[in-house]
Amino acid sequence: MAANPPFRRVLIANRGEIAVRVARGLRELGIESVAVHSDVDARCAHVLACDHAVALGGNSATESYLDIQKVLDAARRTGAEAIHPGYGFLSENSTFARAVRDAGLVFVGPNPEAMDRLGGKKAAREEAIAAGVPVIPGTEQDEGDDALIAVAKKIGMPVMVKASAGGGGRGMRRVEKEADLADAIAAGRREAKASFGDDRMILERAVFPARHIEIQMIGDRHGRVVSLHERECSVQRRHQKVLEEAPSAVVDEDLRRRMGEAAVRLAERVGYDNAGTCEFLLDEQGRFYFLEVNTRLQVEHPVTELVTGLDLVHLQVHVAAGGKLDDLLRGRDLTPRGHAIEARICAESPEQGYLPAAGLLRLVREASGPGIRVDSGVYTGWQVPTHYDSMLAKLVVWAPDRATACERLSQALRDTVYLGIPTNVDFLRRVVDDEAFRTCKLSTDMLSHRPDLAQGPQTLPDDEVLAAAVLCQALGGVRAGAAATGTAAAAGSPTAVWQRLPGFRLFEVTR
Amino acid sequence: MKVTREFVRDGETVAVQAEAIDGGRWRVRVGERVLEFVAVPMVDGGVRLTPAGEHADGHHAVGSRGFVAYGAAAGKEIGGREFQVRLRGRTHTLALPSGRRGGAAAGGDGIVRAPMTGTVLDVRCKVGDEVAADQTLAVVTAMKMEHKLVAGVAGVVREVQAQKGATVEQGDALVTVEAKAKA
Repeated sequence: MAANPPFRRVLIANRGEIAVRVARGLRELGIESVAVHSDVDARCAHVLACDHAVALGGNSATESYLDIQKVLDAARRTGAEAIHPGYGFLSENSTFARAVRDAGLVFVGPNPEAMDRLGGKKAAREEAIAAGVPVIPGTEQDEGDDALIAVAKKIGMPVMVKASAGGGGRGMRRVEKEADLADAIAAGRREAKASFGDDRMILERAVFPARHIEIQMIGDRHGRVVSLHERECSVQRRHQKVLEEAPSAVVDEDLRRRMGEAAVRLAERVGYDNAGTCEFLLDEQGRFYFLEVNTRLQVEHPVTELVTGLDLVHLQVHVAAGGKLDDLLRGRDLTPRGHAIEARICAESPEQGYLPAAGLLRLVREASGPGIRVDSGVYTGWQVPTHYDSMLAKLVVWAPDRATACERLSQALRDTVYLGIPTNVDFLRRVVDDEAFRTCKLSTDMLSHRPDLAQGPQTLPDDEVLAAAVLCQALGGVRAGAAATGTAAAAGSPTAVWQRLPGFRLFEVTR
Repeated sequence: MKVTREFVRDGETVAVQAEAIDGGRWRVRVGERVLEFVAVPMVDGGVRLTPAGEHADGHHAVGSRGFVAYGAAAGKEIGGREFQVRLRGRTHTLALPSGRRGGAAAGGDGIVRAPMTGTVLDVRCKVGDEVAADQTLAVVTAMKMEHKLVAGVAGVVREVQAQKGATVEQGDALVTVEAKAKA
């Protein structure tokens, strides 16, 4: 493949782990990568991973990663021929996709017309109905707060209010009582405005208990769309995915075929031509309802890659350059093989209501071993900024069967170290080790019924822990030159760790 | 070499003193108790610890029952307010005696603090307001999430330090509520 790369240079309009992951895919195809970054991200992992880097200036997403003109200027200045948007930021913004096309560049994503038809929840719902895909009762119209509240009264509580332009749980709320509707809509509008620049909301009946099952699709520019089967993302907290896996333990071949056909029917109807995900709720009776289409590569794409053996970034780039899926997938057996699970590692305290954290990562050690993949956007010495979301890395495992994959993930989490700020690593391990997860009794609201999993054991640190803490202060910590000099004694005084760590960088930026 | 640190456990300050003996052996006093380890620093920043008496005598491979511990200061300030130590697959966050208490958004002391660094989105009270114990007084946003900050106690708002649109640091006082005297 590298012998004849489809592009010479591609700009990645994103940051952190996904930009690192896309850069790796590009390099494997023999394509140069261009990073863009805000001021605080000047030494973010993705800047170090790319061949070129352009400072966008500013720190908030609005003045950096969401600024279409700045991103396009960066592409022009570096001679990039295409732009990969990653997920979040501008990835589902059809205005951006159009601006990229109008600038004579290739957008590594679906065409803007298909995005418009599927991107907004309202538009997508209408298309789904027209394509014969089952939907949840509710409204796709936002005619103001009073109209939304009237619909809620008609279909009955509880209801979900969601950002029309949304994805990733931003601006989404479950509302139990009519009295809380106005507040929930107002808060949803603010979050939606901040995240997507569009504060329109939709409202629908809450289907509970339910599983979240989604179909990964890939389309080409020749009218072909292929289903790459399901992922199950039922383990969620406040509508943010926590653990994702493929295949789903409750999806049999018949259901997989029916859900895949529904997703492909919808995608074909709108001329979809890149990677995308069709999300469904699956109720206890095995009925599935259309939720939304994410018109981009998803956070959890690695689990599909591990069970199908495909590289979705490679496929995205090839189809964006006009490649045919029939050629790209020729001779491939797409039947899911084995089992993959992903855990999202975030800078947050599940023990304190999932409070997000920012600050200096003083010690990072990521797991490795057979069947373990870490897509990371951080390193020892990285200052996690407050301006973006809290995900640090994704820990993904593959094993021949689900039970082995669970055990592998549990052990990999045990071996995972991110110190300096709170993270959800121990919480993830509690969930993975819990009987409900091991026996696959999953639903999207399971964590809200299990505060014990977020809270963790309420035990005091024992004497061994205190002793270990002092020995770590005396001997531990990553230090420049420790490997070269070899011994602990060479590491100097016991307080040296305090003086050394701030400002320490493991890597230098090379351009 | 001797290293002494203090931690707060269950409200009590515990002095921990580690003393190098020889051959990588360390004697650690935790309060009244004495523990012994062979401690070997790892290049990844961890320290391999083998409790004494468990094949740590040089004739055996170090520590079939040993473990690797990782430690780092935590918190925003240089040196941090807390110390995190990870061993046997679990991270323990230890409070330091000098550490300012942060994190708790709504203390029983009536001071509503910023739970994290962020931006004040809304202030929903003014000086003189009578507020209930779980009433939302301010909304702070960080990392694209909104957080409602509620009064820890029922009472009267005495001071509103928070300003809409202002950036606040973790632990900053936002609203001060004077608790209502119990009737």
